[in-house]
Formats: sequence, structure tokens, C-alpha cells
Amino acid sequence: MAAMGGATQSAQPERPGRTDGVAGEFTVFCRIKPGHADELREVLDELMDAMGTGDRAALRQIGTLHDARHVIFDNDTQLLFASVFDGSWDTYIDDFATTVVGERFDRVFSHTEGFPGVKDPNVKEWFVAQQEPALVFVSSYPDLTVKQIWKDQRVNEAFQAVLDSSEFQAALENPANKELLASPAFQKLLDQAAG
Amino acid sequence: MSAEATDVPSVSLEIDDIQSGALRPRPSPYVGKFFVLRVDDRRDGRAMLRRLLPAVDGGLAGADPDHDAWASVAVTHQGLRALGVPRDSLDSFPLPFRQGMAARAELIGDVGESDPARWEPPFGTSDVHLVVSALSPDAARLEKALERVRTAYQETSGVEVIWQQDIRQLPTGRTTLGFRDGISHPGIEGSGVLGTNPQEAPLKAGEFILGYPDETGNLPPMPQPDVLGRNGTYLAVRKIHTKVAAWRQYLTKNTSSPEEEALLAAKMIGRWPSGAPLTLSPDHDDAELGNDPRRNNDFLYRENDDRGFRCPAGAHIRRVNPRDADIIGAARLHHIIRRGTTYGPPLPEGVLEDDGADRGLIGVFIGAHLDRQFEFIKSEWVNDGNFIGYSGEKDPVAGHHDGTGSVTIPQRPIRRRLQDMPSFVVTRGGEYCFLPGLRALRWLSELDT
Ligand code: HEM
Repeated sequence: MAAMGGATQSAQPERPGRTDGVAGEFTVFCRIKPGHADELREVLDELMDAMGTGDRAALRQIGTLHDARHVIFDNDTQLLFASVFDGSWDTYIDDFATTVVGERFDRVFSHTEGFPGVKDPNVKEWFVAQQEPALVFVSSYPDLTVKQIWKDQRVNEAFQAVLDSSEFQAALENPANKELLASPAFQKLLDQAAG
Repeated sequence: MSAEATDVPSVSLEIDDIQSGALRPRPSPYVGKFFVLRVDDRRDGRAMLRRLLPAVDGGLAGADPDHDAWASVAVTHQGLRALGVPRDSLDSFPLPFRQGMAARAELIGDVGESDPARWEPPFGTSDVHLVVSALSPDAARLEKALERVRTAYQETSGVEVIWQQDIRQLPTGRTTLGFRDGISHPGIEGSGVLGTNPQEAPLKAGEFILGYPDETGNLPPMPQPDVLGRNGTYLAVRKIHTKVAAWRQYLTKNTSSPEEEALLAAKMIGRWPSGAPLTLSPDHDDAELGNDPRRNNDFLYRENDDRGFRCPAGAHIRRVNPRDADIIGAARLHHIIRRGTTYGPPLPEGVLEDDGADRGLIGVFIGAHLDRQFEFIKSEWVNDGNFIGYSGEKDPVAGHHDGTGSVTIPQRPIRRRLQDMPSFVVTRGGEYCFLPGLRALRWLSELDT
């Protein structure tokens, strides 16, 4: 599937952080409020448990997040948030703020110093102030956005189901389809069907 | 890369200090026996080892035909403890060996029917201390080797034989599932053991024997003291029951002619019953090729079978040794020496109903690194398929299926996909053992703790 150029474009001003193809990295280091590490740990455990029970609705809502991690380090004094987004992380931050994602951001970062709240007009500047751009960032699939990967997965599952159907087997043997089968485009598809 | 072309600065292996059970290819035909012993008294255990020592062979084939039969003695971690090996030394062994095979069940796919809770006693218990085995080309010479072994343990009161298993090659020369085994064998630098694939350079000795550099350039982790570890190796010993009737029924049910049936079975194994590899003979068995030791393992995958239209990437032999195929990782770091031997009566040709008999193989998988060899092969190559791009698919024969998995067989115009795979093998028991060098065996037998 061809990459949709739109994914790299952003209406936002240029932000720090490296990109590779359609995706960019976003890494922030935040000071944890003194005495808040255990509470923060509980919040992160809850988020993780929700993932464990299959609650990926928030990720679906974001639709541009490849992966993300929260790490508490330096003797409980710092929080690392490292993530990979399609386009730029801040393009949709206002949109997220209105959803369950925004709520989760608030629950996590409220335990760090100076966080203004995800709905605050200055939240982007706050994040940029905490950001440390990566020196190296590489992707194994620089042409694919999260949305495209989901689409590709659905197409492949549907394709495999067609290959498993006896109707398709019959259609391949049907002389009426000879022209279609011989076309270069279909040959390419059949090449993927062979294994 | 060719075996002849490798002008390696030869590492000199102390070959005569290495137990024959490690490097010496098994004869064909063969008969043999496995014993599991429990040591109840450390002094008796050592006394028995001292008596056993003269019966244990080192090195490769020699001039004395009597020694065409050989006995090996391997020790589990519990066994080292039972013999009174000091704590520091016990703790210096790598984790998988210290934990034992049953504790690693989840990782290596011994789940469901193969769960250690269902294993045949004494496997999975703390009673498995020594695994003694004898292998010979014929019954007469085996009897001589066994006599030497029996004398050693029968005269010792604090040592008991708690399990035994006879093994022998079936008259057909095939395993219980009907395929020839024991064809492919890696070459080992400096050992005189030639690999069976002339297109592959021999592996560094440290892949198989402790005390020598391995493929990474490092020495394998060395248990202490040095005299105990040197020239030793690890064995993963497994009793694997084969469901021959289920295998035949599956093949019959999923094909519509004897030819199709033979082809489907071959696609799952990667070789035809004679041993002829699909990559060299894609459409039919070729007994002459299968029987020719110069040709039956002389192939790679990338050049002529990259997409697996001959031998599927998911076939047993291509999974467990992908050779030069396009996979995740470096195949040379995941080789093992195998000593597969058959037990139980064959299911007569053509029978599709299970007769309830126990039949299968005692598999011995040998290497200096349990974690990156045996365990890696089981978890990454046998019980998953991500390394070949079929995430979640398992080895059609050796995989532990639960009736839900699929297996992809590349073919034009569209790939075949086997669905709802049942298991054809069940682990009945097993243990990780250390196979000490001969000096190390003597050291064990002379411990004074
Ligand atoms: C569970 C029942 C199993 C059966 C019935 C079986 C059977 C076979 C057969 C028929 C061959 C072909 C003969 C040859 O190339 O020498 C073979 C090869 C091989 N098997 Fe298995 N096997 C089993 C399990 C395993 C397991 C669990 C492993 C590894 C952990 C393994 C590793 C190998 C290797 C490394 C080869 C040689 C492949 C090559 O070099 O091309 N096998 N097996």
C-alpha cells in the first residue's frame, strides 16, 4: 500500500524530535513531585491492567500512536515518557484532551512538577520544555502509519479467508476469469497468495 | 563456504576426554538402553561412579571392536547435589540446568498433554539423578556394555535404578512416524567429526563442548571448578510419545489419494520417508538419493527454494535448521547434535486405529548452551513461526498444537493452509543433564564431602 503523504504534514509549527518516514519520536523527561512516585506507580499499574484486560479503546481513539512507555527512574525522582507517533505528537493534542486519552494524560502527568493540565492552552509548550529529542530514531516500516497497518491487517485477514474458500478455488479454475488471472495486477496478487 | 575450503587454525580438542555419547555419531542399525538412577547415599553414588568409569567410553571410534558399543553417564543438577558437589560449584551452573526441564515447561512448550504434571515418573521429580545410556550396533555387543554398567550399580546399595527404556532401530530403518532419521549432523571444528552438509562450514567446538571458543568468539559459561566443566556438555533428554494413528488419520482425512498423502506428510517433515530432501526432490520420493550419504544432506535453501515451494519454510527440518534461508537471527548460533532413538513396537503398516501401545523416540539434544540452542529452537523455531513470517504457526510434527493452529504450505496458485492442527507428539518426560568429561567424572567420583 502506498504511503499517504498527508501523514507527515502538520498544521502545527515545527516541533523538536526526530522523524523517520511518516513517524516521529517524542521523548519527555519530567520531575516527579516529591512523595508522588508511589501514587504515580499505582496510576501506571491501573493503565497497564486495563491494557491487559483488552481495553485498547484509547489507542484506537488516538490512531497515530505506534507505541509508548512510561518509566520511573533515578530513585523515583523522574518520569520518562517515550513514544512514537505518526506525524507530530501535538497535532491532535487538543482533540485528545476532550477524550479518555486526555483524562489519562492528566492522571499521569499531574504527578509531575509544573504540569498545567492537558486542557491548558500552554500544555504543548510545557511538553516541549520537558522534551529531549532523540539523536537516533529509525523505523522498520517508515512508510506505514498506524491506520495503514490496521488497514493492511484487515485486508490480509480478508484475503486469507478468501484463499481458504472453495468459491475462490473454483473461480481460479473458471475459464471466464482467464483474462483477469493473466493480468499483471492479478499475478502480483497471486504471488502473495502462494505462500 | 565449503567444508574442505575452511582452513581453520585447528583448536585441539581433548577428544579422548570427551564422552563418546557427546560427539560420536550413533551406529545404524543400533540397539541400546537408557537407565535413570537415584543416588540415596553420596558415598555409594561416588563408589558406583568409580566402578562405572572403566565402562564409560571417551573419544570417537577406535580400533577395538568391543568399544563399538559405548556407555555414557550424565548427571542432573539434583544428581550433582546428591553426589555431594559443593554449593559454590552447584550454583556456578547456568540457570536452565539448575532449574531442570520441568521448570522450563512453559518456555519450551511442554503444556497441555505434555505438562510435567502428567509426565511418567520419575521425570519431573527430584529423584532423577543419573542418566546412563548404552548404544551399540548389535545386541551381543550391547549386552557386554550393559554387563559392565550393571556390575557397577548392582554392587552398590545406595544407588537404585528407577526407570529404564530399551531402544532400537526398527527393521525398516525408519522412526515410528515412518521417516528416516539421523541424517543431518553438524560438523565440529577440530573434532574429526565431519558435518553431513558439504556446503556448510563446521561449527566452533565451543558450540558443543565446554572449554573451547564458540561461534560468538567467547568461551561457553564454565561451571566451577574448571576440572568439572572442561570437556563437558549438556543434554536435553526427552521421551516423546508419537501418536502414529492420529498422524495417519490426519493425512488420510486431508488428502484424496496415496500420492497426495505422501506429499502432504513430506511437506510437513521436509524429507520423504527414505530421507530424500524435498529441496532436492520436490515431487516424489527418491530412495537412491535418500540412501546416499554424500547427497542426502547436500543442500541449502536460499538459491533454489527461497519461497519454500519445495520444502516449506514451516516444515520440520527447515524450521529446526533453516540453513541459509531468510530468517530472523543467525542460524549458526542455534545448532544441536541430535541422537534420536526409537522405542516401542511399530504400528503395522496401514493401521489407522490406535492400539494403545507406547511408541516414539528418546530424543537427546546436545549442546554447550541449553538456552540458546535447545530452548531457543523449541520456543522460537518449533512453537512459533515469527522467524519465518508465519507468526503463531508451529512445527507441524514437533509443535505442541492444541487443535486450533494453522500451518502454511506455499504452492501455486494459492498456498495451502492446514487448519485446526492436532498434536502428533506428547512429551512423556525429560530432564536436562550435564555430560561431564572423563576427568570430571573421576573428580566427581573422588569427591570428599
Ligand atoms: C517430536 C518429534 C520429532 C520427530 C518425529 C522428528 C523427526 C525428524 C526427522 C524425520 C528428521 C529428518 C532427518 C534428518 O534430517 O536427520 C529430523 C531432523 C531434525 N530434527 Fe527432528 N523430530 C522431532 C523433534 C525434534 C525436536 C524437538 C527438535 C529440536 C529441538 C528436532 C531437531 C531436529 C533437527 C535439528 C533436525 C535436522 C534438520 C536439518 O539439519 O536439516 N527434532 N527430525
